[in-house]
Amino acid sequence: MQPSPRALSRRRAIRWFRWSILAPLIVLLAVVLMPVLLLQLYFSFHQWSVYLGSWSEAEYVGLDLFGEVLADPRFGWAVVRSLAFATGSTIGCFLVGFALAFLMYKPFRGQALYYTIFILPMLTVPVVVAYTAEMLLYQSGPINDLISRITGIEFKPMWLTDPNIALMTVMLLEIWNWAPFSFIILLAGLAAIPKEPIEAAEILGAPRWRIFWEVQLPLLRPVIFLALVLRFLEAMAEFPKTWALLQGGPGTATETLPVYIFLTTWQYFEISKGAVMSYIVMVMMIVIVLFAIRLLRREKRSLDTMYGQAAREAAA
Amino acid sequence: MTSKSRRRRIAAILRYAALTAWAVVAFFPIFWMISTSFKPDTQWFAWPPFYFPHPPTLSNYLNVWFGAEEYAATQYAISSQKPLISLMNSTIIAGTSTLLSVLFGSVLAYGVSRYRILSETRMFQLLMLRMIPPIVIVAPLSLYYSALGLLDSMTGLILIYFLTTLPYAVWMTKSFIDEVPREIEQAAEILGASRWRTIFEIVLPLIRSGLVATFLFILILTWSEYLLALIITKTQVTTLPIELSKYQGTTEGRVYGRQAALSVGITIPLIIVGLIIRRHLARGFSFGMVRR
Repeated sequence: MQPSPRALSRRRAIRWFRWSILAPLIVLLAVVLMPVLLLQLYFSFHQWSVYLGSWSEAEYVGLDLFGEVLADPRFGWAVVRSLAFATGSTIGCFLVGFALAFLMYKPFRGQALYYTIFILPMLTVPVVVAYTAEMLLYQSGPINDLISRITGIEFKPMWLTDPNIALMTVMLLEIWNWAPFSFIILLAGLAAIPKEPIEAAEILGAPRWRIFWEVQLPLLRPVIFLALVLRFLEAMAEFPKTWALLQGGPGTATETLPVYIFLTTWQYFEISKGAVMSYIVMVMMIVIVLFAIRLLRREKRSLDTMYGQAAREAAA
Repeated sequence: MTSKSRRRRIAAILRYAALTAWAVVAFFPIFWMISTSFKPDTQWFAWPPFYFPHPPTLSNYLNVWFGAEEYAATQYAISSQKPLISLMNSTIIAGTSTLLSVLFGSVLAYGVSRYRILSETRMFQLLMLRMIPPIVIVAPLSLYYSALGLLDSMTGLILIYFLTTLPYAVWMTKSFIDEVPREIEQAAEILGASRWRTIFEIVLPLIRSGLVATFLFILILTWSEYLLALIITKTQVTTLPIELSKYQGTTEGRVYGRQAALSVGITIPLIIVGLIIRRHLARGFSFGMVRR
């Protein structure tokens, strides 16, 4: 049977509506993002630096630059540092955030005040964090003074100038800065867990720790994954604190991938080498992100089910 | 019975102790920044450190923000800076890009929620705009912008912020739109309202508070963005984080009081905005996947 003219015109109207909603996004991607990605591809295969005249006449070098970058030990170390930094700070944020959320999810006097103080670090500008850290952490600065006074032992690590601990310093800053992120997500997750299974377990006389391991933790899994995955991705991209505080130094101690790419491009002006590194990092990140997205999709589905149930119960 | 209540009291005390310990860690750097911003120049890095300014002075603020001459004459003067102009730039750039992002993002979110114009896979691919580190495109972006004449312009920054915050806007507003019952729209359609009128006069007003939360949330991101601003702005258009980073190169090095006065000014708007939407922060940072 032929659809009626009315149904046809309605379908056409909807199609028109859909495209007009999508158009801005497509234009934005085509005008801003596409040319940039194409340019990056061009520079990856053409040797150009700002000293070599017009970039449109750069020499074609094929895959030479990829070989050069992959053989560059500094690049390899930057990859290692970035992964270590992201892993360490993700775990740190998670442990702090989880502890705080677990201590906070039941109402108690002063809860709102603690919540407010705990989210403050997340609301400071990263560059401000870097500069404030410098004021706090120089060798005869207030942090060392305070720790020495409290413990009574002279405590004088060179947070910013000792190459052995500089990366850890930045990692601690990242944890200070973003533990609130893990905290608020896990707190929201704990608060949304349905009460019935826990109450049922309590009535059956299950000990507190078993309720935690066998009831609460599995229900919290989607939120835990979310907190870990999103934090890891953000930590891989961390640039402002590392750069504003140490510019990759002392030596190359805090030279993570973003910092090394930045140095190559904007201090050594090796645009092509920077582009190749960017390309490799982009491919690497796309692989990680695709994996992360698979995880997120699965966890989002269980979250949606949970909120859907909660909404139905509230409506009933 | 009494042993149980005593155990409960000990647990409560331990909890307060642990929470207070982290509260001190979380707040101390912010306290130090505020305290230093009121210190006279002899106390910026004295040994032993001054924990409170003695006596407090406004000279850092007057010099940094208003370029007051009597303070500008000292050896710590930063006279070439124009933080008030940067403040205006930051406000315009962050405000405009966030507005665009929320406006287009919410319409797109409506289309996804009701007409599935983006499949779930496409929605997750959209997240890549946010999850791939921006460092990988800054070099070609700056060359592309210089060819277009967008380098060192507000338009350039607004465009790229619009693009990079769009995933947050779409995902976050979609989580609000999903909560609106469809019956209202169906009633409007029967009464003859066009699709666009349904969006702008029924759905978006219904999620007003969600839109405000999304706007303020994205404002936090655009206000504090550093890397893209560092690359795209040169001399004409500076945002506040870039203004602060100019202290990096000063030969005197440690002009802590001035830096702190500038830092406080940059941070206060953000803290106010963040505290207004504190209940929505989890939803924002988790792309609307976690709600409260």
